[in-house]
Amino acid sequence: MEIVVLLKQVPATESYIGIADDGVSIKTDDIKWVINPYDEYAVEEALRIKEAHGGTVTILSVGPQKATETIRTALAMGADQGILVNDPTIATRDGLSIARILAAVLKSIPFDLIIAGQRAIDDDNFLVGTAVAELLGIPNISLIIKEDIADGKIKCHRTIEGGTVVIESPLPALITTQRGLNEPRYASLPGIMKAKKKPLDVKTIMDIELDRAQETASVTRIVALKLPSERKGGRIIQGDSARAKAAELVRLLREEAKVL
Amino acid sequence: MTLSVIEKGADLKGLDIESRQMVVDTVRQLRKRLLTKEKILEFDKNEIFPEKEIREMLGPDIGLQLLFIPEAYGGMGGGARDCCTVTCEMARICLGIATAFFAIQLGSDPLMVGGTEEQKNKWLGKIAEGNTLVAYAVTEAGAGSNLAAIRTKADPVLNDSGQIIGYKINGTKQFISTGGYADFITLLANTPEGPAFFIVEKGTKGFIQGKGEEKHGIRASNTSPLSFADVFVPVENLIGGVPGNGLKQANQVFGYTRLMVASMALGGGKAVLDIVIPYSQERIQFGSPLSEKQGYTHKLIVPHTVRLEAASTYIDEVAERLDSGEEDLQVEGSIAKLFATEVANRAADDAMQALGGYGYISEYEVEKIKRDIKITCIYEGTSEIQQNIISTFRWKTTRKTKGEYYQSIRSEMEKIDATLSDAGCRFYALSAGALNDIIMQVHDRRLTRKQYIMFAMADMMTYVEVGASMARRAKILTETGSPEAEKIRCMSRIFANEVAQLVAQNALKILLGSGEFDHKTVSDWMEKISYTQLAFSHQNVVNDMDWVADILFER
Repeated sequence: MEIVVLLKQVPATESYIGIADDGVSIKTDDIKWVINPYDEYAVEEALRIKEAHGGTVTILSVGPQKATETIRTALAMGADQGILVNDPTIATRDGLSIARILAAVLKSIPFDLIIAGQRAIDDDNFLVGTAVAELLGIPNISLIIKEDIADGKIKCHRTIEGGTVVIESPLPALITTQRGLNEPRYASLPGIMKAKKKPLDVKTIMDIELDRAQETASVTRIVALKLPSERKGGRIIQGDSARAKAAELVRLLREEAKVL
Repeated sequence: MTLSVIEKGADLKGLDIESRQMVVDTVRQLRKRLLTKEKILEFDKNEIFPEKEIREMLGPDIGLQLLFIPEAYGGMGGGARDCCTVTCEMARICLGIATAFFAIQLGSDPLMVGGTEEQKNKWLGKIAEGNTLVAYAVTEAGAGSNLAAIRTKADPVLNDSGQIIGYKINGTKQFISTGGYADFITLLANTPEGPAFFIVEKGTKGFIQGKGEEKHGIRASNTSPLSFADVFVPVENLIGGVPGNGLKQANQVFGYTRLMVASMALGGGKAVLDIVIPYSQERIQFGSPLSEKQGYTHKLIVPHTVRLEAASTYIDEVAERLDSGEEDLQVEGSIAKLFATEVANRAADDAMQALGGYGYISEYEVEKIKRDIKITCIYEGTSEIQQNIISTFRWKTTRKTKGEYYQSIRSEMEKIDATLSDAGCRFYALSAGALNDIIMQVHDRRLTRKQYIMFAMADMMTYVEVGASMARRAKILTETGSPEAEKIRCMSRIFANEVAQLVAQNALKILLGSGEFDHKTVSDWMEKISYTQLAFSHQNVVNDMDWVADILFER
């Protein structure tokens, strides 16, 4: 089983996020970079499938040179090899543009299953994985919490309102992860030792044979980035009794907040 | 906060920076899953030695002990910088658990420095495989830092043809970290040829691993007495195969192990900053966050941040020197330990104050860390033992080099000051000069026999050497255009003030306190060492602290 994981390097959730002077990107000076958490589930699931069915796990990423660090972490978790499309302009590319780059690489390597995070936690685009499936013309099952592979088919579970839906598709297919799928393993020290020796191929956009170069151009662009507005202080409702306080609350919700 | 600032390349022992960072990231993950805050508080409250969790950390899924084991014995071959960084991160999670991890390393040290190839293969290999807890059994009721006073005996056992086939051990050990759980220990005992290290395995007949002591802090760590009644160990377990080298082996590792304790203290110090900084931003009193109140921040947070940064800088510098192959860094190990543990202890104390009532209850973890950190001022040689070592050795070095030792630091600082005028180097230079002069005065008047004076001098030496290290880092960061450069220069100015003030104050403490000098001599001396100029180190320091506060609170 040839498994490819699509991986993105994102700022750690605990990083302090500030908007850069251009108004459409973030300051990156003090940021700690990590594997996108949903992609971490993807790496773990790929490793489990490999352990059960054999095969290889390839990590594929588009990003700046620095992204080799997160690929290396995935290799330390147990993946076999990595491919980075070194693209310093990734921050300005939209999801479709990145999906096109990924699809172009995928057309040149073997795969039975592609696993991607449902979204990257930095731009919350929810787009790349599904777009890649579309570009490759393969089935896509999103937001899975469980999967089983047998007889060339993959059966996936997804939580829906009030229940679970089970979806089946032939392989090759692309699945995206949902929280609860698994608990990612640690990058163990033996794993870190081995990771150094595993192949990590760094390509540039020029190396990829795209049908038409302009196909990777972005079709959307970010025009503004805003921090959440500062939370205003709360208000404590005064009153002699619970009844009086409730009455005052209802009045305020109705007359001031105008939500009732 | 700081990985090493100078990556000179392949000639340094240890991991590449990327692998080291991955190990650090793995340790940080432990806090999220295996060692959550709730679990850590639970271990502390109920005095639980988390054997399961620790063994998991040593298991195939994590394998943390591989860090310090040489590659030849199945480990990762980490150097001092790697071990310091990772130990610091572990201590940031829990000093008790970091202690258990450290005990394995400490217990392996006699093997590393003195073991035969066969012994290293066997015992280091066993540790590398995982699931092996180790303890270093040296301390006795009557022998702490004075190891020569140990009483545990190892009598040779002969076969019929008169060959030594093993040793019979009798005695007791005390305060042994992980002593109650260790799968094997490295034990120091007296043979007829002098002290020697032995390996004793758990379950050996006559070897009793006692019940854990109830402790003030590091309650997740096990500290047990051990007793030996006619315990037979085969001669293959005599480390190095030749008796009598135990003390040498024990002393050989101090430069390293004390640096590790310094890193543990640093980790504890960082842990309290991790709590107190966000707390002070969120806690509103009298209409604004505590972090906006200068009296609060400049008393309880900013100076500790600066001192911990200085400690971190010094630890990195010494670790790098070890990785470059330097030996005989025992005094540096002592300076690192004395400085880092004392400043971390004070940082924790003030962090508790900074949280007020929330600092005093257990939920916020500060009071636990405060109790934990205290041990770092005690084990691996108390602060006072370190003061003793530092003052004695540096005094001797100063005499032997005819003052060149601190004079060279002075010249170096003057030289840096010439190109980098805003890192406080002028005061480091003045302080080094004053210190040099004091050492000579103390020597000439035979005041070296007065221990109180020696201790006062040890503090001056410590601050001057740590300060010089801070200046060097400021210089390197500035030269390499690091985004941290401005911050470190500012912190270096603030620290230079502390150094200058401590040197000025201790100089008077020694000169006047000793009663050996008349007022005129002291006045002349003050003139000579530019005492008035030292006093000017306060210049602008409040504004510098404002600036550090702005960085800390992301303003």
